[in-house]
Amino acid sequence: MRTVRIVLWVLVAIAAATFAYLTLQPASQKEPKGDAIALSGMGGPFTLVGSDGKPFSSSALSGKAHALFFGFTNCPDVCPVTLARLVKLRNELGAGDASFQILFVTVDPERDGPSEVGKYAELLNSPVTGLTGSPAQIDQVKKQFGIFSRKVPDESGGYSVDHTSTVLLFDGNGRFTGTIAPEESDKAALAKLKRITA
Amino acid sequence: MKRLIPAALLLASCGQGGSPNVQIADAWARETVADQTSTAAYLTITNSGTADDRLVDVLAPEPIKASVHATENSGGISRMREMASGVAVPVGSTVELKPGGTHMMITGLRAPLHRGEALKLRLRFAKSGEKLIDVRVAPASGPESH
Repeated sequence: MRTVRIVLWVLVAIAAATFAYLTLQPASQKEPKGDAIALSGMGGPFTLVGSDGKPFSSSALSGKAHALFFGFTNCPDVCPVTLARLVKLRNELGAGDASFQILFVTVDPERDGPSEVGKYAELLNSPVTGLTGSPAQIDQVKKQFGIFSRKVPDESGGYSVDHTSTVLLFDGNGRFTGTIAPEESDKAALAKLKRITA
Repeated sequence: MKRLIPAALLLASCGQGGSPNVQIADAWARETVADQTSTAAYLTITNSGTADDRLVDVLAPEPIKASVHATENSGGISRMREMASGVAVPVGSTVELKPGGTHMMITGLRAPLHRGEALKLRLRFAKSGEKLIDVRVAPASGPESH
């Protein structure tokens, strides 16, 4: 009789553990809903290549608020527009170029080497950290940050790249705090940038 | 490129009364730095005439190429596509080609475009024919920012 009771309690414990596992598993393991970028499980350490051709480790961002944007340098419109807007908003914040770091990661490592990803800083005449890497490194970082990109052939025999155009924001503790979408107003974007630099 | 489209549109417009009066303003192109071979240009088209028109092609001096593209943002993804049928300019309308939207994609640049310079573009309209314009080269953030 005692053995039966023990077996029953063991079964209850297994059922409770299974229930807890199924209901309490972390959100990051679940399928993301729609196009929203999940707040949890975003980012993590990475190593890429800077515009000087040297390795760039994400540990260099420790203690620094930053805005992360993925694009490509043959992108004539949305990429320079987004980066120019970040530079403009950083100037409007009035706390200097160190208030938050602007990072540009190419999703087109086949065409964008170190010197190409450095072009935006030159074009915008403001510090923009351009990053590239091997296709495998870029794929890994895209996965970490939930970034989509796909090459699309264009009419001249080359290709364009469809890509996530949302800017990802991180505070000084490296915590992902939100996003800036292209269609968002400057006022809303500025408020978010104030929050990460506070 | 797209040589048949203007002809087809001209034929389609036969029998329609009036004529368009198309004016171009605020044309500017984003400056580039060394080794950058592409950029975008923007402008405003106003049609104060009595018939619709359509921008069907953009031509740049060789070896530069120009074409009309649209940037579409949806679901957090940006996509750029050529507008094969051009840009409609209905009667009484002002159509803006602006950053983050419809733009003229400029490719094949052999030398940087410096701010203050002008790039000559030939805009081909279905009814109004060709218009040669000077596109002012401006900073990346736009012509008003400096």
